[in-house]
Amino acid sequence: MDRRKFLGVGLVAFAAIVMPGTDLSAVDFRETMPQAWEVEKTVDGIKALYGNGALKESGKFSFKAPKLAENGGSIPITITSSLDLESIALFQDANPRCLSCVFSVPVGAIIDYDFRIKMRQTAVVTVVGKERGTGTLYTSSKEIDVSIGGCGG
Amino acid sequence: MAKMKIKAKEKKGVVKVKAMFTSLMADKEEAVKKGISPSYIRYIVAKVKDAVVYEVTMSGFMSENPLVKFEFKGKKGDKIAFTTIDNDNKTETETEKIK
Repeated sequence: MDRRKFLGVGLVAFAAIVMPGTDLSAVDFRETMPQAWEVEKTVDGIKALYGNGALKESGKFSFKAPKLAENGGSIPITITSSLDLESIALFQDANPRCLSCVFSVPVGAIIDYDFRIKMRQTAVVTVVGKERGTGTLYTSSKEIDVSIGGCGG
Repeated sequence: MAKMKIKAKEKKGVVKVKAMFTSLMADKEEAVKKGISPSYIRYIVAKVKDAVVYEVTMSGFMSENPLVKFEFKGKKGDKIAFTTIDNDNKTETETEKIK
């Protein structure tokens, strides 16, 4: 780590100590970011929600999903991470709008989220996480085969 | 309308929560196909002692009757309160004791 970066990290850590409890309040992403929910493609969706930051792959950030989903109406997804993340979003290309859900992670929470999504066809699912403080974006994606489409299809 | 089933269990300082919400989760396109009006939960928040432990904003592309599981650090006997907001801005709250 070079000196400049190191100083930056220190500053952020300092700010986090000085201002505790700033992110305790609830965030409704539907209201704060309405445009992100109308985007069709994953790439544009990530930009709309998190801006143009570089995406990093990390072994500490991943999700579990079946390779082949028999029923597209209910695909179990498990997101786990040991990183200190601020928010996690799930995107997919199968549906008319790419954004499925956005989690805002409270401070000190255990990141182990289990939920189910709908997909009407085979597509790539991308999970993006934003690290608290640094704002680094982590990503992980997988292709899920859907044999019977969800969404009532 | 919407009913909730909540289960919360504490083990070694970690509370495991399972919650199920009743909703059709029909987004615009699906609603047209089925001939119903769109209805989906767009926001779920869980609080313990007014501190947020779980928070998610979703679109209609979650599966029908969404089931969520998560963990957080908590104590036995505390109360966990779930609030959901659906697409018509209807809110529902339900409270459950952590066992």
